[in-house]
Amino acid sequence: MSNAKERKHAKKMRNQPTNVTLSSGFVADRGVKHHNGGGKAFQAPRLGTAPPRQTKTTHYAPPEPDVSEQLSSRVMFKKKGGWRAGPEGTSQEIPKYITASTFAQARAAEISAMLKAVTQKSSNSLVFQTLPRHMRRRAMSHNVKRLPRRLQEMAQKEAEKAVHQKKEHSKNKCHKARRCHVNRMLEFNRRQKKNIWLETHIWHAKRFHVVRQWGYCLGERPTVKSHRACYRAMTNRCLLQDLSYYCCLELKGKEEEILKALSPMCSIDTGLTFAAVHCLSGKRQGSLTLYRAHRYPHGVLGPVTFIWRPERTPGDTSASRQLWIWLHPTLKQDILEEVKAACQCTEPVTPTPCVPDPLPTPSHGQSQPALPDEKIGKKRKRKDDGEDAKPVKKFFGDGTRDPHQPRSWISAATGIVISDLTMEMNRFRLIGPLSHSILTEALKAASVHMEGEDTEKTPHLWWIETCKNPDAVSLHRRQEAIFELLGGVTSPAEIPAGTVLGLTVGDPRINLPQKRSTALPNPEKCQDNEEVRQLLLEGVPVECAHSFIWSHAVCESVTENKISDQDLNQKRSELLVPGSQLVLGPHESKIPILLIQQPGRVAGDDRRGWGSGWDVLLPKGWGMAFWIPFIYRGARAGGLKEARVHSQYKRSPYVPGDFPDCSAGVLFAEEQANDLLEKYKRRPPAKRPNYVKLGTLAPFCCPWEQLTRDWESRVQAREGSPGAFPPRGEGSDLRGDEVPCVPTPEKPRQAPDEADTPLQDARGPEGERDTECPAQAGAAGLPGQDATGSLLCVLRSRAALKQLSAWCGPSCGGRRAAQRAPGRGQRDLTPEACLPLLDRFPRALVWVSLSLLGKGSPEPRTMICVPAEEDFLQLGRDRLYCGPQEPKHSDPFKSKIRKQKEKKKVEKRQNHGPAGSEGLPVGGPAVGLPALTLGLWSGPLPDVTSHCSRALLGFVTQGDFSMAVGCGEALGFVSLTGLLDTLCRQPAAQRGLVLLRPPASPQYRFARIAIEL
Amino acid sequence: MWRTHSMAENREHRGAIEAELDPVEYTLRKRLPHRLPRRPNDIYVNMKTDFKAQLARCQKLLDGGSRGQNACTEIYIHGLGLAINRAINIALQLQAGSFGSLQVAANTSTVELVDELEPETDTQEPLTRIRNNSAIHIRVFRVTPK
Repeated sequence: MSNAKERKHAKKMRNQPTNVTLSSGFVADRGVKHHNGGGKAFQAPRLGTAPPRQTKTTHYAPPEPDVSEQLSSRVMFKKKGGWRAGPEGTSQEIPKYITASTFAQARAAEISAMLKAVTQKSSNSLVFQTLPRHMRRRAMSHNVKRLPRRLQEMAQKEAEKAVHQKKEHSKNKCHKARRCHVNRMLEFNRRQKKNIWLETHIWHAKRFHVVRQWGYCLGERPTVKSHRACYRAMTNRCLLQDLSYYCCLELKGKEEEILKALSPMCSIDTGLTFAAVHCLSGKRQGSLTLYRAHRYPHGVLGPVTFIWRPERTPGDTSASRQLWIWLHPTLKQDILEEVKAACQCTEPVTPTPCVPDPLPTPSHGQSQPALPDEKIGKKRKRKDDGEDAKPVKKFFGDGTRDPHQPRSWISAATGIVISDLTMEMNRFRLIGPLSHSILTEALKAASVHMEGEDTEKTPHLWWIETCKNPDAVSLHRRQEAIFELLGGVTSPAEIPAGTVLGLTVGDPRINLPQKRSTALPNPEKCQDNEEVRQLLLEGVPVECAHSFIWSHAVCESVTENKISDQDLNQKRSELLVPGSQLVLGPHESKIPILLIQQPGRVAGDDRRGWGSGWDVLLPKGWGMAFWIPFIYRGARAGGLKEARVHSQYKRSPYVPGDFPDCSAGVLFAEEQANDLLEKYKRRPPAKRPNYVKLGTLAPFCCPWEQLTRDWESRVQAREGSPGAFPPRGEGSDLRGDEVPCVPTPEKPRQAPDEADTPLQDARGPEGERDTECPAQAGAAGLPGQDATGSLLCVLRSRAALKQLSAWCGPSCGGRRAAQRAPGRGQRDLTPEACLPLLDRFPRALVWVSLSLLGKGSPEPRTMICVPAEEDFLQLGRDRLYCGPQEPKHSDPFKSKIRKQKEKKKVEKRQNHGPAGSEGLPVGGPAVGLPALTLGLWSGPLPDVTSHCSRALLGFVTQGDFSMAVGCGEALGFVSLTGLLDTLCRQPAAQRGLVLLRPPASPQYRFARIAIEL
Repeated sequence: MWRTHSMAENREHRGAIEAELDPVEYTLRKRLPHRLPRRPNDIYVNMKTDFKAQLARCQKLLDGGSRGQNACTEIYIHGLGLAINRAINIALQLQAGSFGSLQVAANTSTVELVDELEPETDTQEPLTRIRNNSAIHIRVFRVTPK
């Protein structure tokens, strides 16, 4: 009898009076003590004063099996006998006579017990909860008088108990004091010590699930159910995201020096570089992938976007320029180090470098305002009198940087200054066709300051000085005109990609609408005219890309002199006509902003321009002042999840998850694998998929390294056998020292025992690689460099991708391929044609997009497999054929786990709980065996490509049902070797068809592979 | 004037443009056509959506709800390039199925489309080209049957 069962029974019997307890079968010994009344009644006369013990012995004297047999048969027989059948299983017959007094006594005892049980409340609910619904009253829980009289006493007792139980109030201040502004600010500052808050944090915290990531507190997804609504906003309306957590690095110096320093970090092979003409002029934003210097196909640092400050003197390469590189916070550490190394910037600059700006700017002390500021950081500065230095740093602070470290570095040799401008600016992203109307309605270009206006007290001196210069004023007017033209363009996708527009706007809080409304495009503005046409064709002229946001001094002054919400509202309330427009005149803040067009979906044929929008860069401190007006114009706010959906529908890789060759990506994958494993282990084994039986080797992470290596050895093994694949040049230049050790991959793979759990295999292969070819590793790996030093790389060469993309088409002689082939010098897909590609990128992954032919919605880590011949035959026969099934695999670990368990039981282990399964291996033969989890492959993985009935080609990294297309869509990586091999073998008509299988399903489904660029 | 939100592409032009450009130096990116804000009774015909679905959509607009509420007295069917045929087809089908209560009036126009040429090398400026494409705008409206 289990302990739990007994306890349960005891609980049930707790309030039962002893003499009415029914003796059920298993409480035999207890059943004796409180035998039922009836039994007693007829026992009494026979046994007189005999103790109950004896009763038992007499009754239960026959040997056990006999009793049970009797018992069961009798129960069966007596079933019809009603209530007496169970309890009286052991009594012989119906008694011949009853003594009235004893019988009545027994009944009386029962009745009194029942009455007692009724008055005693058995459940652990409160008194008022036991009342029927119609008798409940609203304030019952805290006002005893609301209860019926008879229950009041009990409720009183309960209430007192509850008060005692309530834990001591943690805050020593009352609610009102805590809500007081000063204290709140202190509290907020304390709470953002560890993870930095964005300026819109409080707003997000009220509406979003906030997660701590990358050193920030970021909104993950709205608390309202809004997946589809956010998609609609991206497609038809406008979605707003706060991307202020993106990091900005600033490089200042001579143009030629900067270009020279950065050119080894990017390759023309992957597209345009920092030197692209239109980007260099400052007219457009550029984007590229950074690599470690001179290590092009390997050593990826991550994707960045950059803008050059528009130059004043075109053509002069020695002029001082300013470059902003925007990147994801996970990539920052690596990129900053590498850029510093490339520019030889080693000397930290302690004070904030002051830009020699042509504009006269007010000095700090003079413009120190008397106005209180509602900005969180500002407040902190004022409040924390004791620690003056620290709050200032906090104000500039960000999560990816130690506050005590310098923020800018200078190089003596090259004269380049690198500054870390993270959290110095806000970056809001508007996605969707309505972003133009929202921008033009929410923002109004700043009014030009007129001569003769009273300039005595205004803090915005920089603007007054600007307005004295007629050139600057005319430039401002032109920018304003172009900005107004945007209102007549119905989609941001019509503007040239990456267009940059600078602007100075007035305070957006001034013309905030009374209510939240939706800004709709104004048809009158949308007339065809020459100016709009010019804008669409040429983009914004270079001059108009200029913005004062590039100047630190102006930004600082703008941040310092922000008028607080409180003051603004105060002024508004003092208006003579309530609700009329507030006119601040020269006191109104002028904010320099930068608008950058984001191109949305550029690759591929369908849904072109989907998800295009504008990024707005603002000086810090102004986040909320712009956020609320955007929201009030009908923008819907999105979080990180929406960003993922956006990048998935755009079919662009998501940082950092889709960069398996960069260290941030590896780290991300490890964390994700850990999370998923934890989640998996939390479920009982019967309620979770057995991945071993499903043939899924790595359900939580994608073993890219091993995938590429296995494909290599697979193809080479086939080369050895006659026929199939023509032999390749053995001594390929890139990996001369590696070839000898690859043909025998099985033995070294079995040897290492460092991979202890399946989730470690992201790391495992690297270790193996090191043992296999130490020479290669030594040459490749810089000290302290992780997975990026491995051979694995992602194919980003545009020429190679173009070639592949043409080969992936449904048939080589297809319509488009045929049209393009002669013009582009494309070669037909033959094994020979693949060789140069394979030689150049021996272990490469290719970013592919997959769309399902029929049913199925892929999820992340879905396996991309090669279809077999018979699958094509089936598909040819039946167009609706949904795909083959993976046969069930045997689970070799199951018996091992059982053995281990038995051993553990025998050995009386000390460590118990879930730690045991992970922890020490049990002695004997199990030593050296990794800890086993039921349903997961443990130990080093076997050949991943050939483990299942269909050869594994790659994995999906993003996948879902796509609302944009109406079928399942996925993005992922496949092995280049595998892809080429597969394509060569497939008949031309079915080229590019693959099978997808989610990790927890045996069903394969057909999908078409495409490489877009 | 052209209002569109999705359109079929003109395939003949692609070949012509690619012939005159060096494909090694430029990548062709076609931009969306300039469009105007959409009214509820504008229908843009494309070649991707199922024909029957597009026809049903037009029919629904004309018929309105179950009691005929919100029915449009006229709708505009727009087709660009390859979709012109389909637009005409839809309009005629609507008319044929209406027992004479619908009339059509067609207008044609020319739409300027912008092709962006992205440079593949750093030294070149991005180019834009304009090409023209034909479009049709069919007004389908209800007349009182005689």
